[in-house]
Amino acid sequence: MQDMQTKPNGPVAAAFVAAGVGALVLGIFLVLNEISPDINNFLKFDASYGLGKGVGPLSGKVALATIAYVVSWVVLHMYARGKEVNFSRWFAAALILVLAGFALTFPPIFEFIVGLFPKAA
Amino acid sequence: MEFSERELWTVLHGLVLGTLFLLAFSGGLAGLYSLKANLLTEEGVAERTPRLVYGSVVLAVVAWLTVISGTFIVYPWYRAKPPEGLDLKDQSVLGDFPRYWLLASDKTAEWHKFGMEWKEHVAWIAPYLATAVAFAVIYYGAQLVRRGEIRRALMIFFTLAFLAAGAAGLFGAFITKAAAVA
Repeated sequence: MQDMQTKPNGPVAAAFVAAGVGALVLGIFLVLNEISPDINNFLKFDASYGLGKGVGPLSGKVALATIAYVVSWVVLHMYARGKEVNFSRWFAAALILVLAGFALTFPPIFEFIVGLFPKAA
Repeated sequence: MEFSERELWTVLHGLVLGTLFLLAFSGGLAGLYSLKANLLTEEGVAERTPRLVYGSVVLAVVAWLTVISGTFIVYPWYRAKPPEGLDLKDQSVLGDFPRYWLLASDKTAEWHKFGMEWKEHVAWIAPYLATAVAFAVIYYGAQLVRRGEIRRALMIFFTLAFLAAGAAGLFGAFITKAAAVA
């Protein structure tokens, strides 16, 4: 329940979940990059859009993860603005997303997942 | 005594920004932990809150600067491709190409395959988390003292941001020791 002397927690919950979305999207593109040569080429934003020089697919991975972070933050903020949400539930969701993102960046885990796909290099 | 451009950037990326991040993290975590109504007077809360705001904002800004400089300035030097004709198994000719130098030997290849692969990605989680923390601290300010569940969540996110940056920083130091970009 909201302490009536404090602001509603919705905007903070939205910021937390958005951070989780960014982390997860980063992890997903990391795996997709390893699975598909087409996606690997697509993610070379340095060559396609001039985002850095010589960065390779990392440029696309971090750009898309950051875009997902910002866009999800805006959307969630608009939804939760002015609301007192169930913070424990929102934070649990944020934590799950962040930990999934962490896990997918960990080489033994993403290599295991990549190995499940027949087209993996 | 002089530094090359690459040495300056690697020092800025790893040492200067890394040190600022550590300082801001430890100060911020201590500030969040002790921001309890039963430990502080109203004056104490009012005195600490601006420091907490500045600390968390510095942490977020430093996290962004670190990953941006690392990814778009230092990393391309690390992954620079050797010219055609060089023997990719001969470390003696790959000194200017750290990624290929590491991969040229089974003894050093894991620094790239595990260390760099993890570092270059996990580091990017830190600014997302640190920014969420900074936003929450700015949003609530002194009211955080009455929102214990959010304060605890902030400490968890703060710590996860530190772990992400710490893993990246640690492997960055090890990899630089093995194969410097400078």
